[in-house]
Amino acid sequence: MTMRSRRTRRFLVACAVLGVLFGCSQGATSDTSSRVTTAEQEAVTLTLLAHDSFTPTEGIFDDFTALTGITVRVVRGGDAGALVTKAVVTSGNPEGDVLWGVDNTLLSRALEADVFSPYVTVHRGDIDADAVALSPEGHVTPVDSGDVCINYDKQWFEERRITPPLTLQALTSSTYRNLLVVSSPLTSSPGLAFMLATVAEFGDEWSQWWATMRENGVLIVDSWNDAYYGHFTASSDGDRPIVVSYATSPPAEVIFADPRPSEAPTAVAALTCFRQYEFVGILRGTKYESAARQLVDFLVSRRFQEDLPLTQFVWPINRTAKVPQEFLDYSLRPENPLSIDPATIARRRAEWLDTFTEVVLR
Amino acid sequence: MTKVAESRSEPWSATGSMQWSAPWSALAPVAWLGVFVILPMATLLTTHVDVADATRVLSRASTRETLWFSAWQAVVSVLFTFALATPVTWLVGRHEFRGRRVLRSVASIGFLLPSIVVSAGFLALLPNDLDTSLFAVFVAHAYFNVAVVLRVVAPRLESLDTRLMWAARTLGAGPLRTVVSVWWPALRGAIVSAGAVIFIYCFSSYAVVRTLGGPSRNTLESDIAVRAYAIGDIGGAVVLSLLQTATIIGVVLLGRRVTNDADFGVRRTRVTLGRLANSRTLIARSIAIVTVAFVLAPLAALAVSSLRVGEQWSIAGWRAVFSGGVIGSTSPLQALWSSARTALVASIFGVVLAVLMSHAVTRLGTRGRRLEVFAMLPLAVSPVTLGLGLIVTFDERWYDWRGAWWFVAVVHTIVAFPLAVRVLVPSWRNVSPVLRDAAAVLGASPARRLLDIDLRLLRPAIVAAIALIGAVSLGEFGAASMLSRSGAETLPVSISRLLGRTGDVVRTQAFVLATLLVVACLAALLVIDGADWRARPSRKASRARSH
Repeated sequence: MTMRSRRTRRFLVACAVLGVLFGCSQGATSDTSSRVTTAEQEAVTLTLLAHDSFTPTEGIFDDFTALTGITVRVVRGGDAGALVTKAVVTSGNPEGDVLWGVDNTLLSRALEADVFSPYVTVHRGDIDADAVALSPEGHVTPVDSGDVCINYDKQWFEERRITPPLTLQALTSSTYRNLLVVSSPLTSSPGLAFMLATVAEFGDEWSQWWATMRENGVLIVDSWNDAYYGHFTASSDGDRPIVVSYATSPPAEVIFADPRPSEAPTAVAALTCFRQYEFVGILRGTKYESAARQLVDFLVSRRFQEDLPLTQFVWPINRTAKVPQEFLDYSLRPENPLSIDPATIARRRAEWLDTFTEVVLR
Repeated sequence: MTKVAESRSEPWSATGSMQWSAPWSALAPVAWLGVFVILPMATLLTTHVDVADATRVLSRASTRETLWFSAWQAVVSVLFTFALATPVTWLVGRHEFRGRRVLRSVASIGFLLPSIVVSAGFLALLPNDLDTSLFAVFVAHAYFNVAVVLRVVAPRLESLDTRLMWAARTLGAGPLRTVVSVWWPALRGAIVSAGAVIFIYCFSSYAVVRTLGGPSRNTLESDIAVRAYAIGDIGGAVVLSLLQTATIIGVVLLGRRVTNDADFGVRRTRVTLGRLANSRTLIARSIAIVTVAFVLAPLAALAVSSLRVGEQWSIAGWRAVFSGGVIGSTSPLQALWSSARTALVASIFGVVLAVLMSHAVTRLGTRGRRLEVFAMLPLAVSPVTLGLGLIVTFDERWYDWRGAWWFVAVVHTIVAFPLAVRVLVPSWRNVSPVLRDAAAVLGASPARRLLDIDLRLLRPAIVAAIALIGAVSLGEFGAASMLSRSGAETLPVSISRLLGRTGDVVRTQAFVLATLLVVACLAALLVIDGADWRARPSRKASRARSH
């Protein structure tokens, strides 16, 4: 008797759990669908595929929905490399409608696989011309940019009265023996950008530079996180005062400190910077081509672009977008960053990575 | 030995009233694996690989080096794990004492945590010159897998027929002799089984080797990821993953040959835990303390990091997380709920599949053993390539499931399936057919017999299986992270994203979330082990505890 009632109770509990599970997911769907139906236009839900670091202010797409009646569902799936690989294997039958986050080091791989459907945004006139030139046929639209540079610990060099390294060539000097930590280009996006910086700077001699650096005690680690927070003296108990990071790392050091210091504890060597651009593209095979175009326009519009600096620490590509003062105050924007044309990167990337493995890792 | 075992098992299956349903119960799980593992791999193979890829990859010297490194580091890791796990397994498996279940729960936590969290803990803990070393890799592998030894071997120890031991002693066998002729035959199956699972995990280890081993060390799995994502050589990645699958299947088959299905010959009784003899309290205490310290040290390091912003102590991270100030993130409660929902769905479906499969495995004799090998399949498949295979397979019409939140749960049922089956198979074998026959004679219907005999006796194992699947799901960061995910991000994803950013407060928030994840896992484990304890039929054990 008691056994039976206990079993019944347990059954009810199980039902309740399942009910909550599916009830909630149902609640979530009905919520979005009601938003769509109240809008005047066609009820379209676009899927925006993005890498895991795509983190705009929550609710920013509500503005877009209010304007167009189109709902945006953000779907994240790994880092930029994973995103492009997945886009390549699903080319023509994409997982979503718009893809955010392919950068100039990966762009050609996506273009070769014919992943995108071309579109020229209405905001093209406001966009940085250098960036537009990287995809002249308009398969993708640039959305933001950032620089990967040598960062150093200001205090470390001041205390020892040593000049910080200002060029890549300087790093080979014995003054900087055992001081640099770099993340591997095989597993980290800033690591790859830095390897490309050396290719851009030294041409065919680039692997020679790495061989010298190996002699000079460069430390290669797996990820940016490992380099910056595992070994860099300014941000860990490590013993490396020079690190490969972003040009926006110093402002982040200030803005995300508590209490905020009056100046950044780290600085950037402007002559060592490699520029990364990120692009957004409409995935070929989408059912909602015209809605997707509207979303691309929104992503390069001022409203969205002005959200970028403080949420993702990148520079807006739209020149009319206002950049927050605190971001400007501590950031360095190199005037002539190093760069390599995406087609060359695509053609030689595998070969360069093999050389790197051979020269530095083996 | 085998002969005896078979002659003993024969009469059961001949009269076994459940016999009729055994092949059918395998149908659903086999189909599940077929659809979600074999089909995607086959699709990927036929669409993205050609023969040239195979010759190119297999003829490279670096492929052989990587294979060799994967294998030997895995063997050493297994030895490390057993060295660390043996004392606590012996303590928990043979003795009744206060805090036994808490100790078991705490010692198991490593297995549940995402590798990114544990690696962060180890990086915080290890001195800088040990940061990226093989030693760090071995320790981390042992850390994750202590739970495997504990959960696979300790239950076998618990139900060891102690009378055999006393009989051996009475007949004049010394301690060594007793170990060799009584303990080892009884435990061999469990030990080899645990060893094989650990080998497979370490062989295909990715995050640990990468983070703690340094970028110049590659297992096949980490090389697969590099090929697939950094270089874009999908064909090469798939060929490597086939090589990995072949090796793992080889190891599984070898393991089965070695044990030769030792499970059948072993006599087991109800739980026979002795109370801790006074002479052993000191040893027991030191084992417990060392184990708990080992398990908690990296986690404590995380908790400490969550309270530090730069050089100072501060609760800014906690404040930010609870006021919803985590940049660009869903709130931690949403992330927790998102993780929990996936874990719950995965465990419900996963446990049903595993119960069906393990039933067939134990009731089908030789074919059942083949089925058991088949159940290990998901362990042999590279998560990176499985993820790719899934998105090229389930990609159109009504079966376009890419981006659906529950698709992640489906993948988790696959990843956890072999573990759940392993937990359930020994328990099915323990269900004496005599009981079922007796019930049949007394007029119980098949449904009634299933409910009141099989499932009742299986309950602890079912609870354990649910726990395992849920835990695997909570911390899984492999196959599912390759899938695209909509809705709130899960905790491991939030943590890895925050760890990839500059800024002291941001970083502290990552550690806050990691601490929350650890607490959630630990709470789940304690609740589940509590349920396990209540479900245990043995009155004697609970009486012993109350003293």
